[in-house]
Amino acid sequence: MGNYLIIRIIASVFSIFAIFKVLKKYRDKNISFKELFFWVIIWLAVGLVFWLPRFTTFLANFLGIGRGADLVIYTSIILIFYLIFRIFIILDKQQQEITKIVRHLAITEEERKKEN
Amino acid sequence: MNIYIVIPAYNEDQTLTQVLSELKKDYSNIIVVDDGSTDNTFQQALLAKVVVLSHLINRGQGAALATGINYALEQGADIIVTFDADGQHQVAEIAKIIQPLIEQQVDVVLGSRFLGQQSKIPLFRKIILKMAIIFTWLISGIKLTDAHNGFRAFNRLAAEKIKISQDRMAHSSEIIEEIKRNKLNYKEVPVTISYTKYSLSKGQTFWDSFKIAKDIFFKKIIK
Repeated sequence: MGNYLIIRIIASVFSIFAIFKVLKKYRDKNISFKELFFWVIIWLAVGLVFWLPRFTTFLANFLGIGRGADLVIYTSIILIFYLIFRIFIILDKQQQEITKIVRHLAITEEERKKEN
Repeated sequence: MNIYIVIPAYNEDQTLTQVLSELKKDYSNIIVVDDGSTDNTFQQALLAKVVVLSHLINRGQGAALATGINYALEQGADIIVTFDADGQHQVAEIAKIIQPLIEQQVDVVLGSRFLGQQSKIPLFRKIILKMAIIFTWLISGIKLTDAHNGFRAFNRLAAEKIKISQDRMAHSSEIIEEIKRNKLNYKEVPVTISYTKYSLSKGQTFWDSFKIAKDIFFKKIIK
């Protein structure tokens, strides 16, 4: 039980730290309210799972999954996949934006040369 | 009619001067898009006294083509021909490829190395190209005899409508999809490809075909 307490404290400190980070980002208008909401829920859930492991078992049984720990791992993997997908989309968009800038530079440079 | 030749070039200083000097005999509006080359491609294109658009960093052949086409449209092009810098296309065949556009039969003309008199194509390359044809057919519903040929001609309408968002090699299949989406009329015209050791070394490998498929599927998922 003693070891479990240490894990709980570490997880809680980490969650609280992450929530503060997210709040600061929201205050600096780096993320939207939707994103703030999403991340606060995620980190609160992480804290909750460590303090009330039985809750996950309850949820798992409700969903027909044997153990609470399994449910946590399943949801984590789904979440990670989703986030990776989001990152891919953002990267692709940025690649297209870079191309747009490079194209604009190439064309304006040529037009500038022509004028001189 | 304003005919513009667009040539995407990435590290092609071994062949570019020769290709340009041949082109200049018959055509006056030539646009080279130097796609961030690290060799003397840019200097050679400048020396040839053609229009050179220079990508600051390498963005891929699809991106280079789109840059050249955009610029040609701004200059008032009626017909835009895309031509390879590695010397595998024949300047004499440009007349043949733009003929259907001049006669206003179609909006897009695609060069095909498998139509008519066949070019000598190395076997392994032939297999890759045939796979590409089937692949393009599956995703666009258009069955061509050659799906990855850089020798094409567009009229103004087609060039304005076709949007190339694939920066790398997948633009070939994308162009076909765009033809279908915009309901453009197209035609394939037989062209000769001269395979040299050099053009083969610059061409697509078997592995590249997987990258192209990946790029296409990815765009389909995120759209």
